[in-house]
Amino acid sequence: MSLTPGILTADTLDQADPAIWEKVRDAFAEALGLDEDEVELHHKIIEDLDAESLDFLDIAFRLERAFDIKIPRGGIESTAREGVGEEDYEVDGVLTSAALARLREAMPEVPADELEDGLRTAEVAEHFRVATFYNLVVHLLAEKAKG
Amino acid sequence: MSPTRPRFAFLVHALSVPHQRVLGLRHFTPGLAFGRRDGTSPYDLGEVARVGLKNLVDGVVVDVPMTPGQMLEDQGRALARMERLVQSIQRSEPVHAIGLGSLCAVVAGRGSALADRVDVPITTGGAATAWSLLENTRAVLAVRPGPVAVLGSRSPVGRAVAALLSADGFRVVVDNKRAARGLPVEVADSPETAAASCRVVVGAGPTGGTLAPGALQPETVLVDVAIPATPAGPVGAGVRVLAGEAVSVPRTWSRGGWGRVYQVLAGYGPFQVYACLIEPLVMAAQGRKKPFALGRNLDPDDVVRFGEAALAYGFAPRLARGWFAARL
Repeated sequence: MSLTPGILTADTLDQADPAIWEKVRDAFAEALGLDEDEVELHHKIIEDLDAESLDFLDIAFRLERAFDIKIPRGGIESTAREGVGEEDYEVDGVLTSAALARLREAMPEVPADELEDGLRTAEVAEHFRVATFYNLVVHLLAEKAKG
Repeated sequence: MSPTRPRFAFLVHALSVPHQRVLGLRHFTPGLAFGRRDGTSPYDLGEVARVGLKNLVDGVVVDVPMTPGQMLEDQGRALARMERLVQSIQRSEPVHAIGLGSLCAVVAGRGSALADRVDVPITTGGAATAWSLLENTRAVLAVRPGPVAVLGSRSPVGRAVAALLSADGFRVVVDNKRAARGLPVEVADSPETAAASCRVVVGAGPTGGTLAPGALQPETVLVDVAIPATPAGPVGAGVRVLAGEAVSVPRTWSRGGWGRVYQVLAGYGPFQVYACLIEPLVMAAQGRKKPFALGRNLDPDDVVRFGEAALAYGFAPRLARGWFAARL
């Protein structure tokens, strides 16, 4: 699968578009009550920034306003589910190999070795990086430009 | 209503599709009542009930009849509907303060985006929730002294409660290292570890289902404000889960017929309300312009100020199980 131009991978986090990154960073800082310099693209949102569930809502809302986009609920996971049948996505809450492969494509900013066999569906959000939302914004902006 | 008395409004939303239908009946809007519209129309906003304190302050509960799913799916639309509702109130019967109930206090930057768009003070109910949770926890600790765990400690309410309990001199264990910054509290590495170490546990997170129920040891009392409840399933025998946000109302509380219906439909029951409802009441009665709580901002000193005022108006925290008072 080819990546949308501008999408960051785990190895290219230093190549963010400053205009986009500044707004993404501000959204995280405002939503989480942090200083701007406390937010980095590689940070895990839950583990490093201590975000709680409602913070994700706030972050999404601020990004929507900052970029005039609409972030669908469950947008990241639904992207990961694309092309994988419901029954092939998880078994007893554990992601299948097909789902993990799709997830690695959908979340290239996450080191691939974090998305390994045994990962539970409920644990996926623990791997979200700030870059995950950056990439989501880049993707939605590209979709918007296409009309 | 007397035009001279202070007034407040409280914004709520439908909790379910059946709630939407009831609100449609209340508004006399057949399209909503009979399910031909889905609750997102700007024409289905309306009044739920009139509440207040006799001869002191008048209030109106108004609704955006969107379900929780609709509110979360499109926060921009929820914000637009809330803004329209506030403008409508201000055109017809201006109020001095507006409180936000349930997800109205969560979406769109926890009230901050709405506050940016309207010219009346907006408050989220956070100080009232923290006060009732604090007082109810103190009541439990008075008969079960010992360490207390605060779960959801990263939330504004959780951090304020942790700060005030530690200021009381209690040994407080929190479940988040960032919440502990600057506070004399202990940090556990998970909610389960924090809960297992204490026999009094505070559920301060706004959303529940975050704690493995087995972490609560027998004889533990959980004072909870999360909806749904903090444990992600049924708790074990000997564990008591009490509502942390219930407040008894004074004899001067007025509510009318639809107010009684509202108290039942909102889950309060006939004898109590949730604290967040009275936060804008206190603001209006005091002529206070500064919100008690907005966005992530919740100053523990404002929790204390709010509590003093609420008590003076006759409201009192009430340990409850469901609709009824609980005995320890």
